[in-house]
Amino acid sequence: MAAPLLECSFLIPLKRDTNLSDGQPHAPERWEWLYDELFDRFRGVTFPPLTYLGVYEDPDTHSRVRDESKKYILAIEDSQLDELRQLLSAACVLFEQKCTYLSIAGRVEFVGPPSS
Amino acid sequence: MIHANKYFDLRGQIIDASTLDEEERQLIDKLQQFSDDHPDARTAEYESYWIRRVGDFYLARGLSRRDVTRTVVWRIAQDLNSRLMIAAGLAKVHDYRDELENLILLKYKSRRAFCEATGLSEDMLSHVLAKRKNLGIQTLADALAKIGYTIHITQVPDILH
Repeated sequence: MAAPLLECSFLIPLKRDTNLSDGQPHAPERWEWLYDELFDRFRGVTFPPLTYLGVYEDPDTHSRVRDESKKYILAIEDSQLDELRQLLSAACVLFEQKCTYLSIAGRVEFVGPPSS
Repeated sequence: MIHANKYFDLRGQIIDASTLDEEERQLIDKLQQFSDDHPDARTAEYESYWIRRVGDFYLARGLSRRDVTRTVVWRIAQDLNSRLMIAAGLAKVHDYRDELENLILLKYKSRRAFCEATGLSEDMLSHVLAKRKNLGIQTLADALAKIGYTIHITQVPDILH
């Protein structure tokens, strides 16, 4: 029997961060990059309908931020977790975010951009 | 949607469809029909459909997943998805600053390397890429000329075909 997979989900805000950038929607090329990478690295991905509204405190400005995100759900092997984190780290740069929300079987991590 | 073997994407660039076989053309027709029938990107119906459909089609032909993402059909399917996302307000047509950032990401090791090659200041580039400032056309043209690039004028795309 195949090893059980981990259900992972992550959120990509629909707009660029207002501190890092201008708070405007992303260019389609950014989403196209994400679809290419998701298919190439993991093949299967689920796209829940509708978007997710959230509110959080910006760790730098301590102001309250509302955002709207798209959610993606993946079923992956344990050994692919670092690859997913690496993808989300790159996504932080391309989607101009301070971090991305990643849920791994219910445990949440915030993945930031590459440190270098 | 493909005229004289050419597909014009959102960026006004031509995707050459002359090498597509009959099955690939039929697949594009199905993708187009599905996007027409499910135009609201917020429902994610087309988004869920096209990746599976195009992926399965080419994996069955023995292509690697990376190679699938380089096919003409994948690029057209992506473009249809992008049009739906823009129409739904989930994405926004890029401006030259996004293109500039893509160029830097793809061709240069760092923003500093790009600035050294073009003569632009790092401070100015930082503001431009953060969409806080714009570059003058002549400044941009001069900078791009130093690295073998130029500005080009193109027709504003018709988002929904």
